[in-house]
Amino acid sequence: MDTLSTADLVKLFLTIVFGATGTYLLLPHSLGKVKPKLAHFVGLVLVAVAVIAISGFWKVGKEVELVSRLFFYLFAFMAVGCAILTITSRDPVHSALWFAAVVLATSGLFLLSGAQFLAAGTVIVYAGAIIVTFLFVIMLAQKEGRALYDRMARAPFFATLSSFLLLLGLIVPLLGMRPLVLDQDGKPPQASLTGNAMVSMADRLDTTGRADLVKGTMPNHKIVLERVMGPRSTLPERTPGKAKPAHVASLGAVLFTDHLLTIELAGSLLFVALIGALAIATPKPPIRPTVGTPSTTTTA
Amino acid sequence: MPFSAEMLLNYLIIGAVLMVLGMLGFLSRRNMIVMFLSAEMMLQGTALTLVGFGRFHGNWTGQIFTIVILTVAACEASIALALILILFNRKSSLDVSLWQELREPGRSAIVDQASDAEPEPIIRGIETYPHLVPAGVEPPHPTESWTERRD
Repeated sequence: MDTLSTADLVKLFLTIVFGATGTYLLLPHSLGKVKPKLAHFVGLVLVAVAVIAISGFWKVGKEVELVSRLFFYLFAFMAVGCAILTITSRDPVHSALWFAAVVLATSGLFLLSGAQFLAAGTVIVYAGAIIVTFLFVIMLAQKEGRALYDRMARAPFFATLSSFLLLLGLIVPLLGMRPLVLDQDGKPPQASLTGNAMVSMADRLDTTGRADLVKGTMPNHKIVLERVMGPRSTLPERTPGKAKPAHVASLGAVLFTDHLLTIELAGSLLFVALIGALAIATPKPPIRPTVGTPSTTTTA
Repeated sequence: MPFSAEMLLNYLIIGAVLMVLGMLGFLSRRNMIVMFLSAEMMLQGTALTLVGFGRFHGNWTGQIFTIVILTVAACEASIALALILILFNRKSSLDVSLWQELREPGRSAIVDQASDAEPEPIIRGIETYPHLVPAGVEPPHPTESWTERRD
């Protein structure tokens, strides 16, 4: 922990305190009292200060292009700020809208870290989820005004305290970890190092497997197993003079070789969830006998 | 964009912030729909962390994990919304505090004084509503009252 300087630690602590105080001021009152406009204003200012202060811990190296750097900061600020607004809005419709902004920012960050398919997939999946949430809000919300339970929070002080203590506990080891991943020269290691090693391993496995298949020295099922289960999980690297391999094709290749069982499990999970949702949500005859038996109930 | 250790640290910090804010929303808000959104936000933070790690180590595993998270989130959304629907049908409210009988044994119930809550501040001014032109033929009204709804 000696790697994290005392000044950094104090700055981080102040950031967390500012963020916690601002978020607490923005949350609804525990007894449903109306917070004055001044509390909202002070809360917003404190949260803005905390977000700007925590951006001081983000380090974007000079080797990153200016456009990437700008978009990283845009998406990061958007994610954090909209996340705070999601949990502090009194109106669930506003919460859903802010959450949509969080999802957009997250998919932008996915895009910046080379996960194009996931960026598109997240937007598609969560757009559907948020539209359904809107339908639910419109269908179930109270007619006039905001509901009482939207204006009351459950133990906001202790919830804020425990959450931001957890944030402190998460960020302090992260910041203290920074020099551990550096080389002895103080340079960060190349990210593709493990990738190249894996590529050569996969190539070796491929050739030996084919040779053994021709010669018939290995049992066939073993060759097939090794070729299917072999490590293929390397991100496509841009090599000079060659086109970059297709992103989705590589992802699909990994998904259907290394992680075949995962796909099967995910499919089964979706199927079970479909059946479960149907079993839960289908309307059943009334529980109270006094309401009267509808014509759908059978006496058998 | 080259992905250095510093960039990984940025992603980890943003992921931690999203995760913690989602936890705060889940703990303190009482609307079941907002709680559902907070749980999804925690998943978003975790997905960001996994994608950052995968990019840093140069393999696909982080993205595969995130695809699994997306799948689980879709399942969770369907089950959670079905549960919200059925719970709303029982109590006609989205308040999660109405289900306190599901708490642990030995814990006393939290009683809210609804009279403590101040009413919504009234916004001064004239209420205006859009004027809609009636279109089409008015459908026939049902002769008997609605019997399907449970409450």
